[in-house]
Amino acid sequence: MPGSEPALNNYLIVGALLFTLGIVGFLTRRNLIVMFLCAELMLQGVSVTLVGFSGYHGSWSGQVFAIFSLALAAAEAGIALALFVVLFRRGHSLDVSIWQDLREADQPPIPDETTDDEPQAEQVWPRLAPAGLLPARSPKTAGEPFESAMPAGAGSERGLR
Amino acid sequence: MLAHFPVLAASRISLLADQFRSALQQPHSGLVLRSLLILVAGGVGLYLMLPRGRHTGRRFDRIIGAALATLSLVLLATVEIPTGLAEVESAQKTLLWSFGSESKITGFTFYALAAISLVSAVMMITSRNPVYSALWFAVVLLGNSGLFLLQGAEFLSAATIIVYAGAIVVTFLFVIMLAQPSGAAKYDHVSREPLLSCLTGLILSSVLVGTLHYSARLDVRGGATETSILPSAEIITLSSTLPDSRHRTDANRHVAGLGKALFLDHVVSVEVIGVLLLAAVVGAMLIAGHPVHAPGVNETGRNKTGRNDRPS
Repeated sequence: MPGSEPALNNYLIVGALLFTLGIVGFLTRRNLIVMFLCAELMLQGVSVTLVGFSGYHGSWSGQVFAIFSLALAAAEAGIALALFVVLFRRGHSLDVSIWQDLREADQPPIPDETTDDEPQAEQVWPRLAPAGLLPARSPKTAGEPFESAMPAGAGSERGLR
Repeated sequence: MLAHFPVLAASRISLLADQFRSALQQPHSGLVLRSLLILVAGGVGLYLMLPRGRHTGRRFDRIIGAALATLSLVLLATVEIPTGLAEVESAQKTLLWSFGSESKITGFTFYALAAISLVSAVMMITSRNPVYSALWFAVVLLGNSGLFLLQGAEFLSAATIIVYAGAIVVTFLFVIMLAQPSGAAKYDHVSREPLLSCLTGLILSSVLVGTLHYSARLDVRGGATETSILPSAEIITLSSTLPDSRHRTDANRHVAGLGKALFLDHVVSVEVIGVLLLAAVVGAMLIAGHPVHAPGVNETGRNKTGRNDRPS
């Protein structure tokens, strides 16, 4: 089943663009996890190219190589995530820029662009709404243990506001 | 060596300019220029979408960038690449995304899947939150496995989803364990040299796409087929070939053929990959299992610089 050449061109272009996007992300992002994902994106671009060639030539070899790259990606993921754990334990951050002292001894440090003067958007976490009204208390149990349990609940509800 | 560098660079640049000028004389130079412009538009859009810290002045930067990137994607679909088939030289103006004699449905499906992959890849590298990055990467994988299916790689498509689903879940775990406790980290809002890296990506993609044009032109002119990256399909002779997915019978089952190719033609590579995976597992255990001293008192003093992103 030799494929048509326009189809191969399409696959090559999509693979090239995926690889390019991966390399741009890898160069420019500073989060270790995002950099790892970008490396995986580059591997995906190569896989698309290989599968495109496989379909074009009607041979299995492209798919076999794509399977090898899948296994390589798995090995890389294992090593990379283990390294992230160690680096996070040592540096308490996923920022790659704090590892700049691994550079060559005669190289000047690259000054980090800081965001200190940028108004940081406050992180808004989702909150559960208070679940309905408090049940009406019967006068019989008003002064009972239920009442003594209330201040904690009321206090936490006030804390949410 | 260093003293000769300016002379060397000047001669190289003049050489490149000569080549560029002669390339513009070629018959398909308009196409090359058009795809270059489209890629430039995409690069500018990507630059506008990237997190750039305090330089993210206007709120509409991301919207403008997304519009530019989408525009370049849509325009890229209309670029023609001349095919190298000599007998259809008069009709070589096939649209980039058209699939020749194949059905329209195949072309449309490819179009949709490629758009899903590329758009999610852009969103993956531009989103500020690593959780969203991982989610977008999952969408990239879905699009890619669809593309694999379209080319008759069914096992690979399933394996991609299965293997990477585990990887994505593990990445989620890592994001939740490592990134979330400190909230929105500053380093996620600042890119390192976004302009330069977009330029790098632009050059890389231009070279890759331009190589396609170049090889197609070689083919069209004829006589230079062996330097092309697209040899005609008949040159390649193989013992085992892909079964036609449209005439699938029990005699040429997909996985059976793939297994034959894996374990007959590439059996040594399979063994090597197995050993590599074993080594990776052992290495990961060695790296991650190594005890680190109590947090904050390691002797390298890196915690001083690392602390600044943590809320006190």
